[in-house]
Amino acid sequence: MEIVVLVKPVPDAESRLRPNAGGTELDGEGIKWVLSGYDESAVEQALLLKAAVPGSSVRCISFGPAPRTEEVLRASVALGCDRATWVERPVGMPADPLLCARVLREALRKYPHDLILAGKQAGDDEEGIVPSALAELLGVESFGSVVDLRWHAEEKRFRFQCVLDSGSEKVEAAGPLLIGLQQAWNDPRTATLPNILRSRKATIDRLPWSDVAPLLGAFSAGRTTSQRFRLPPPRTGARLIDYQSPEEAAEKLVKILREEAKVFP
Amino acid sequence: MRPSVLVVGEAVHGQLSGPSREALNVARSLAGSEGRVTGLLIGHGLAAASAEMATLGTDRVRVVEDAALTSATCSTLAAIVRAEVEGAQVSVVLLTGSVRYRELAGRLAARWDASVATGATELSPTEGGGLRVARPVFGGRATEELDLGGPRCVVALRPHAFPPASTTAPAAPVERRASPPFPTGNAPAPKVSALESTEVTGGPSLGDATIVVSGGRGLRAPENFRLVEELAASLGAAVGASRAVTDAGWRPGSYQVGQTGRSVAPQLYVAVGISGAIQHVVGMVSSRVIVAINSDAQAPIFRVADYGIVGDLFAIVPALTKEIRKVRGLS
Ligand SMILES: Cc1cc2nc3c(=O)[nH]c(=O)nc-3n(C[C@H](O)[C@H](O)[C@H](O)COP(=O)(O)OP(=O)(O)OC[C@H]3O[C@@H](n4cnc5c(N)ncnc54)[C@H](O)[C@@H]3O)c2cc1C
Repeated sequence: MEIVVLVKPVPDAESRLRPNAGGTELDGEGIKWVLSGYDESAVEQALLLKAAVPGSSVRCISFGPAPRTEEVLRASVALGCDRATWVERPVGMPADPLLCARVLREALRKYPHDLILAGKQAGDDEEGIVPSALAELLGVESFGSVVDLRWHAEEKRFRFQCVLDSGSEKVEAAGPLLIGLQQAWNDPRTATLPNILRSRKATIDRLPWSDVAPLLGAFSAGRTTSQRFRLPPPRTGARLIDYQSPEEAAEKLVKILREEAKVFP
Repeated sequence: MRPSVLVVGEAVHGQLSGPSREALNVARSLAGSEGRVTGLLIGHGLAAASAEMATLGTDRVRVVEDAALTSATCSTLAAIVRAEVEGAQVSVVLLTGSVRYRELAGRLAARWDASVATGATELSPTEGGGLRVARPVFGGRATEELDLGGPRCVVALRPHAFPPASTTAPAAPVERRASPPFPTGNAPAPKVSALESTEVTGGPSLGDATIVVSGGRGLRAPENFRLVEELAASLGAAVGASRAVTDAGWRPGSYQVGQTGRSVAPQLYVAVGISGAIQHVVGMVSSRVIVAINSDAQAPIFRVADYGIVGDLFAIVPALTKEIRKVRGLS
């Protein structure tokens, strides 16, 4: 089975977020870039399927700027992906999910794929648009928020569950298929030191922007014309309720919630 | 010129969903009195939902109804919406922020060559015929402001970020549309089972609730989790949990709030016996009002909460449940 995993670098959860003066970008200092959480699960699931289906291979692909994109691709190789493709995105270009999907479609033309795996959404922008937009461009079915993804070789079908808002659906589908993963069978593995060292020397296939842009024609500019970040006013810390007895604490809190916060009548 | 807007609503148990009402409200304020608001429902058993939609500020309602559509794939939904968009001459499509419809946003935008965003909490028209959208990112630690280029935009809204539409008279006409056959690229077509409900508590679902009460390791044992469930029931709230609870198997993974669970943004979030680890906080910090109950005054949860009670949850929570039941006339 030929498996492609879409991966994205995102700031790790403890990174300090500080927009620059115009708000157009986050200050790079204080940000540690890591593989997005759901993408980690997607890589894990790809590697589990590879181990379960003899003759499979896994290629990870990412569209993003230097140097972080190359770093997360190497991290994915260290986890066990066989090959990696980096489509270079010019620094400072607004992140446009449809542009990203179109770029990935061009990159995918080069590689056979029975299954495309992605995280159900990115850990930073949480948009969740790229997988389904890409599936539409490729003309394949897609399912998001997927857990328990299995391959049934005799029937040549994938079986999995989609976790929706109020329940879940069981799905059976043939490839090629695009899956937005919520959870792999296992917690994502961590890379071993020898594999990390080896991944530093691994070949990363590069697709420069100057090669991709002409393929996109009018779409190369994207549809998002500007992107700015702002921080919410800092939370000042909780107002603590004074009380003598649990009943008094309850009474005071309920009064505040009704009269001041107005969260229920 | 005000845009004409198509709202793709959803029915849950035959009723129009809360986020659909919110989307209709946003649609009307975008369209003003010049632009037209079309409501669209796709699925099965839509009589009540479409009748309600017709009274929520729409100019017309269209219903694509077929038993087979209850388990339609996203590509089928996208094809149906695309066909409706063509006929209705709209420039903005608004979707609710449900899991399925967020997926639909990407599909539809690709098919219709539109600009697109999901999780919007603010929305306004721009000079150039596009939209300016704000959306929380990084688990609510920052807000991203995007200018979406016109003349075609698709936006999925974040649930509970906008007030619901109010009732208008007279009701708009409801038109039934035939469900066209939609071949898929895959052969054979995917088989999708009926939805199996995971609404174990019978209360609202996590993603959709206006109030969420979550419990953490501070509850000490699975049988104590009922304290959280009783508090939630008194408030008509959904129940959530920290990963300490789901990892220990006290409650299923679908309860988990946080980085590797669900992100929620209700009007009120109550954290009971939860320390406030960053991985939990990113999943709830966008809630409008946060209340924490924890015995440790230094617990980080008090830094993100608006109101706090430092104390033993085993004493506080039952008292709180009792008080809420009292003021709500439940006992
Ligand atoms: C990659 C990664 C992803 C993660 N994803 C998530 C996620 O999605 N969601 C999530 O929740 N966590 C997640 N975690 C785990 C997270 O780091 C914390 O370990 C977890 O949230 C802790 O859960 P807790 O607050 O219930 O438990 P604890 O941190 O143990 O806190 C228990 C709290 O209960 C209080 N308490 C104890 N007894 C009482 C009492 N009698 N009355 C009142 N208060 C009491 C204590 O003071 C303490 O603050 C993740 C971790 C990692 C590394």
